[in-house]
Amino acid sequence: MPSHRMPSEADIISTVEFNHTGELLATGDKGGRVVIFQREPESKNAPHSQGEYDVYSTFQSHEPEFDYLKSLEIEEKINKIKWLPQQNAAHSLLSTNDKTIKLWKITERDKRPEGYNLKDEEGKLKDLSTVTSLQVPVLKPMDLMVEVSPRRIFANGHTYHINSISVNSDCETYMSADDLRINLWHLAITDRSFNIVDIKPANMEDLTEVITASEFHPHHCNLFVYSSSKGSLRLCDMRAAALCDKHSKLFEEPEDPSNRSFFSEIISSVSDVKFSHSGRYMLTRDYLTVKVWDLNMEARPIETYQVHDYLRSKLCSLYESDCIFDKFECAWNGSDSVIMTGAYNNFFRMFDRNTKRDVTLEASRESSKPRAVLKPRRVCVGGKRRRDDISVDSLDFTKKILHTAWHPAENIIAIAATNNLYIFQDKVNSDMH
Amino acid sequence: MEFKLEAHRIVSISLGKIYNSRVQRGGIKLHKNLLVSLVLRSARQVYLSDPCPGLYLAGPTGTPAVPPPQQPGEPVAGPPSGWGEPPPPAGRAAWPEPEPQPQRPVVCHTPGAGSSEPLSSGAGDALRGEETDTAAAAWSRVERPRAAASGGGSDTCPEGPRAVRRPCGCPPTREEQPVEDGSPAPTAPCPRKRGAAGVGGGRAGCPAPGSTPLKKPRRNSEEQPSTTDEDTDEEMETGNVANLISIFGSSFSGLLRKSPAGGREEEEAEKSGPEAAEPGQICCDKPVLRDMSPWSTAIVAF
Repeated sequence: MPSHRMPSEADIISTVEFNHTGELLATGDKGGRVVIFQREPESKNAPHSQGEYDVYSTFQSHEPEFDYLKSLEIEEKINKIKWLPQQNAAHSLLSTNDKTIKLWKITERDKRPEGYNLKDEEGKLKDLSTVTSLQVPVLKPMDLMVEVSPRRIFANGHTYHINSISVNSDCETYMSADDLRINLWHLAITDRSFNIVDIKPANMEDLTEVITASEFHPHHCNLFVYSSSKGSLRLCDMRAAALCDKHSKLFEEPEDPSNRSFFSEIISSVSDVKFSHSGRYMLTRDYLTVKVWDLNMEARPIETYQVHDYLRSKLCSLYESDCIFDKFECAWNGSDSVIMTGAYNNFFRMFDRNTKRDVTLEASRESSKPRAVLKPRRVCVGGKRRRDDISVDSLDFTKKILHTAWHPAENIIAIAATNNLYIFQDKVNSDMH
Repeated sequence: MEFKLEAHRIVSISLGKIYNSRVQRGGIKLHKNLLVSLVLRSARQVYLSDPCPGLYLAGPTGTPAVPPPQQPGEPVAGPPSGWGEPPPPAGRAAWPEPEPQPQRPVVCHTPGAGSSEPLSSGAGDALRGEETDTAAAAWSRVERPRAAASGGGSDTCPEGPRAVRRPCGCPPTREEQPVEDGSPAPTAPCPRKRGAAGVGGGRAGCPAPGSTPLKKPRRNSEEQPSTTDEDTDEEMETGNVANLISIFGSSFSGLLRKSPAGGREEEEAEKSGPEAAEPGQICCDKPVLRDMSPWSTAIVAF
């Protein structure tokens, strides 16, 4: 739901994540808040509003902090949210800013006990002389109340800025990655963590690459991948060694020398990496492309899709405006047949891996009336221009879609466009194909 | 020629980004600054290797008149050596923050302990960037954190005002000048790194205030007979950029590593620090720093 307050920087959405069933959708913003949406159950009474998402809970996850020893302000911006698999009636998620990870428990209360013997309705102690008989308190229904409480705070684990968290398939551990290190935590233990990757050179002057993203394998609890600013992926096996500085597999594509420029290194930096649901593939996003990698082939990706190659000639001005440092995320659909990523001008792109067709769509209030059909957009790069085309020079680079998420099972996507959240549903093709 | 213009522009933009990154909220972003430094290095290479006569700059790397382009087989030169812990925002302190024990697989965190790891000597340029011009202002500004920081780790240097520290990690003096070992200082002497830092100094030296530097900056020591940068004044004020680049070159040893002589010397100086858990520091001389414009001073500080 779009924010109804005056738009401010604190409202800028910084992460979006569906839970494992898709019933809940969590967003984090720059102001340290988390908003959780819940999908309304489809009802026959109101078929037109079936399966829409409404606000379920809002809470302040992180506050700005000041590290006095280092004279550093720690931003409250939520970098990532990851849901834990649901193990009981409560939902749990991990949220992190640059330095601290928190485990939140979300519970519902829709009944309350009434008929206490010693207290009255307001909770005040009764005058005992008025109590003549004993009664058993009964649970009476009440308006649903969603309670959120911080259960664990995992602090002081990172010197550098945390860029990723990932829950292990063992449901007991999770990892957090900053620019140079990856730590393994146990969900129940907050005062220590294991360092499993450390790429900090002995001499910081030798630093040539940093960790940009990392994720556990969806099925093999010993495997994880991390991406680097040089465009490489490293698959690591925690059973091989305690410190996984040596990768099991290194996925790297040699650079195309004809594309060399001042900015080659920047645009090859991987901003996001995601395992496919099957666990067989990985999806990476760098500045201009998304790539699909097969875990069995390290030499090069099996598929490369151009997101906005027309920007290749504009890298210098994008460098000047800092846009070249934008970190776009990428997403798989539930069946791993379609991949999605964001772009500028509030455009987002989808690539069908089977048909090799792609589409550009726009997330904006004007073009997205409720239940309206999204119209494919096109960016023209010279030559023939169709009526609704946008020229490259009129793209709005302040409107960037960095964060997107795809429902785990259905064709529902969540798109964060600055401080607005759009949820699109494909009613026609509700089932995965 | 167009490449040179482009390279010049990119160098200026990049330096601006590095400078601005020191004041942004949330601290310095290591990833972004690494990328900027890579761009800077590429642009600088192009700028220096373009064989335009009369545009040769005083060899910061000691390379011959027309520096050859970097060989593909050469090790990748690292980023600027200011890659210590992200330094605090501009003007605050020249000192990178402490570093937790990185080598142990299990890191125990007690609440609040995470920030009070032993104060290391930190990395190169952050130390050298003791902007004495701004240090005085920063001194008063950081008075407040001193009280809060008094509970620092036992083997850290007393957490005085962070605005100014000697490169060896010792707390600052009232004059905010680095002092030689043994000179009286109002704050307790730092237990670490005195030997490496004070004696003889070399790259890691702490020259006495106002005295002749113990060692000239790299570019002079390796200088070949060459034209100076002043007479190459083109319309784009290359003199200023040349100054920046030559200082830049002498400051960031990662870039210098292309030059065998320079690189080795740098490494030896760094290895001389016995307790160096952190990379050794490279001091640039105060007189050299003071001669530069504030702009370039800030870059060196980073």
